Amino acid sequence: MKDDSVKHPQAAAEFLKDRAQAKWHDSAIWWVRQKRDAQAKQLPEWEELRRLAREIKAHTLSRLDEYLAEFEANAQKNGVTVHWAADADEHNRIVHGILAARQVKKLVKSKSMLTEECGLNPYLEQRGIEVVDTDLGERIVQLRHEAPSHIVMPAIHLKKEQISELFHKELGTEAGNNDPTYLTHAARANLREHFLTADAGLTGVNFAIAETGGVVVCTNEGNADLGTSLPPIHIASMGLEKIIPKLEHLGVFTRLLARSAIGSPVTTYTSHFHQARPGGEMHIVIVDNGRSEILGNEDFYQSLRCIRCGACMNTCPVYRRSSGFSYSYIIPGPIGSTLGPSRDMKKHGSMAFACSTCGSCSNVCPVKINLHEQLVLHRKKAFDQNLLPASKKMGLLAMRFLTQHPALFDLGGKVMRKVVPIIPESLTRHSAWSRAGRDLPPMPAQSFKELYQQRNQDKKDKEGKQ
Amino acid sequence: MSARDSILARIRQNRPQASALPDIHAVPFIRYDKQFEAFATLIRNLGGDAVQLQDGQSVASIVAERWPDAGRTVDLTVAGHEEVDDPHAWHDVDVAIVPGQLAVAENATVWVSHPDNQFRSIYFLTQKLVLVVPRASMVDTMRDAYARIQMAEHGFGAFISGSSRTADIEQSLVMGAHGAMAALVIFI
Repeated sequence: MKDDSVKHPQAAAEFLKDRAQAKWHDSAIWWVRQKRDAQAKQLPEWEELRRLAREIKAHTLSRLDEYLAEFEANAQKNGVTVHWAADADEHNRIVHGILAARQVKKLVKSKSMLTEECGLNPYLEQRGIEVVDTDLGERIVQLRHEAPSHIVMPAIHLKKEQISELFHKELGTEAGNNDPTYLTHAARANLREHFLTADAGLTGVNFAIAETGGVVVCTNEGNADLGTSLPPIHIASMGLEKIIPKLEHLGVFTRLLARSAIGSPVTTYTSHFHQARPGGEMHIVIVDNGRSEILGNEDFYQSLRCIRCGACMNTCPVYRRSSGFSYSYIIPGPIGSTLGPSRDMKKHGSMAFACSTCGSCSNVCPVKINLHEQLVLHRKKAFDQNLLPASKKMGLLAMRFLTQHPALFDLGGKVMRKVVPIIPESLTRHSAWSRAGRDLPPMPAQSFKELYQQRNQDKKDKEGKQ
Repeated sequence: MSARDSILARIRQNRPQASALPDIHAVPFIRYDKQFEAFATLIRNLGGDAVQLQDGQSVASIVAERWPDAGRTVDLTVAGHEEVDDPHAWHDVDVAIVPGQLAVAENATVWVSHPDNQFRSIYFLTQKLVLVVPRASMVDTMRDAYARIQMAEHGFGAFISGSSRTADIEQSLVMGAHGAMAALVIFI
């Protein structure tokens, strides 16, 4: 389970202590962003695709009740049982109820951030059901009793040596063999046994099609497919915002998802589930858990367009340099930093400040969510609700006063430029600018305003001469 | 009120402003002059391969040439093919030859949804997956594909591109995660 009491600044500082690991984390994730760019550039219609995706989702949200009812009716026509859960606890009770009634001992799961959000694994384990996460990254973090640190790459915070050590202990692989191929195939052999002996399979949902009553699950590993084609029970858990109106709309979303997420033209498997396998049964659990409340908030409802690709975290300079565990909410990065505070400002308010407001997240988002703008609005809420640490609050109040008094602001800058260079180093050693890897910046001779005025004056002089 | 009714009531009450559904067909999407070449180039980076059946060749001869030591081989493209009564019974299949209805040039996927197949587990349990697709059944993009597909197999259908893969260990791409270790698309 995730530690939801962490505060981003402290946790990030802890993460950055291992400089080499932090550097690797930053560049490994930036590489995925670059792969995403390469894919996007190959399609002349990329920006049009983003626009279409945004508009389809915006339309769906504006009639979400109708599309959910249509989805339910069509799923039932296909013979699927549809359940509704108002919150996490109800979701867990429904899933456990299905499994307990059928004496399920082992459940194989494919990736689902929703079940992480609901805390399903511990709920089932406390009731005697073995839960096996089957996505390789999820399996790794499950064996380490950790939460995923990224929604698409759950184990991106780990080095292969750590995984090798874990597999040696848990799966009996050779000590010191760090070869990713060897380790992956060892997990493959181990998880095959679990697939073949599981009594039920649970998947998340990437898209739920109102028109056909089916759900779509995208994986590269094939774990969702093995987990649903072997056991007789398939449970699909979905947040209620996963709906799209028509099958044809997948012609937009499947073009965006993997390109945005991992810089690949598509996932290996894009599987459409409308019925259980012969002799089996299929259940869909539609979960609210706070979503319908966000829908009613004018400032934040756009976050429900999210298709969970993770592109916003891959591009985020703060996420890359602080890792998923620095964020208190189960979903990290820019999208988590709006969803978390929307859910519980007290608990997750610090996430809204884990942002340089550069806007890169909004620029890569395949459904064009105004992420950085939402984070600024959450900051305002955190300030208004008096949730900031005293030092931050005082700093902001001082800054507000200064920006409202331009003459004082100019004077302050002038004094800083003169005084800072002559302050003895012993006095600045403990400031934020003196941490490892940072230096007090050299003070410029002139302010930006002075430079700008000078430049305009120079221009005028030049023109006057001509 | 049931959870269902209270959720739907809350959504109705919280509806954002109305927004029109766009026409996704109004935008021109990319076209490929050489669809097979685009498909084949792509799939080779995705742990797969693609070939066109030549005169004198058969699907079986291509498969035998590629994997001369293949173990249990099941061919779902022939009428009256082997059937099992439990999806687990496909667990030791080495090569599965299955019909694909459609191929997509932009991402090297093949649509699989076989009306005569009982258990879909074969596609994912097999070590090597051979997809047999009619040459004329190639489209440019997923939009074209979705206009033509049908869920013919017990409510199931999947786009499959190449072999199963993962990069969950240090971003190193490894072929053969849980599904097929290798994939071959044969256009006939």
